[in-house]
Amino acid sequence: MRSCMFVLCSALAALPAFARAATIEMEVNGLVCAFCAQGIEKKLRAFPATDDVVVSLEKKLVALSTKDGQDIPDDELTSALTNAGYTVKAIHRESESLDDVRARLKGSR
Amino acid sequence: MFECTPGMGWRVAASLALAVFTSCPAAAKPIAFADGTTIMAEYGAGTMEEAQAFYAPYYWLSLGAGFLRLDSDVMPRTRNIHDLRVNYLVHRWNLDDAQANIFAWGGLGPATGNDFRGTVLDREIGFQADYETRRFYASWVTDLHESPAYSDRIDTVQLGFAPYAHDYEDLAAWFVLQARDYSGGIHDGVEVALLVRLFKGGAWVEAGVTQSGRPQVMMMFNF
Repeated sequence: MRSCMFVLCSALAALPAFARAATIEMEVNGLVCAFCAQGIEKKLRAFPATDDVVVSLEKKLVALSTKDGQDIPDDELTSALTNAGYTVKAIHRESESLDDVRARLKGSR
Repeated sequence: MFECTPGMGWRVAASLALAVFTSCPAAAKPIAFADGTTIMAEYGAGTMEEAQAFYAPYYWLSLGAGFLRLDSDVMPRTRNIHDLRVNYLVHRWNLDDAQANIFAWGGLGPATGNDFRGTVLDREIGFQADYETRRFYASWVTDLHESPAYSDRIDTVQLGFAPYAHDYEDLAAWFVLQARDYSGGIHDGVEVALLVRLFKGGAWVEAGVTQSGRPQVMMMFNF
């Protein structure tokens, strides 16, 4: 019984980490205007796995959260941004939630 | 064919020189983004009215239709041109803090006017070069319309300055100085205008006046 409780508690404690969608950050060159951002956002939102997208012209950064348990491979993201007309410098995954990224970007302005 | 008016060579040279010194052309891009639709309309100081609609299947190609009316302010001469147009992104430079583009386009369609009879086939060819950061913008656009009855060319140079660097969700504000030269007796001299440009999301509005006090307004929507 005690071991069952331990497993249950461990699983509950781990839930928020699983429930939180992954955040993918992409550094993009050529991102200077709202229309650029609009085109990129439209491309990325077309992925079924996309939950939300944030674009920062200031940081030249595109951040994307995926739906629970889903991911988008780097090569597909690179292809989407290239096909939107932009150059991807780097892609990295962060443990930070997209809301936190959004708040960080707003706070840095 | 329109005749060359005295001083036209100087005006074209001045316009081209300005384009060279500013390194790029201005005005809305003929391709906004892939899988995007662009609708734009411009009232240009009484000498030019234009409306266009494009769909871009790719970021480097858009297809659409347009209407252009030219109304000379120095003689009773008008043009009404309808055309189908293809826009092509020749090259794009995605830089760290800037983007530069070269576009080309071509079109075909019927045209009428008040100094020739019937309807003629208008052939359009144009180029645009632009350079843009979040605070500075420069562009040069040349648009040539030819038919058996006329040859009209419009060169437009714009220099833009943003008082603050906007982000995606902000209202972007720009002050734009524009110089436009018409061939074919549409306007005498280089037409200079001071414009204020505002855009947010997919909506763009630009308005101002020329040196002779005539209004110029342009609206564009991307979705």
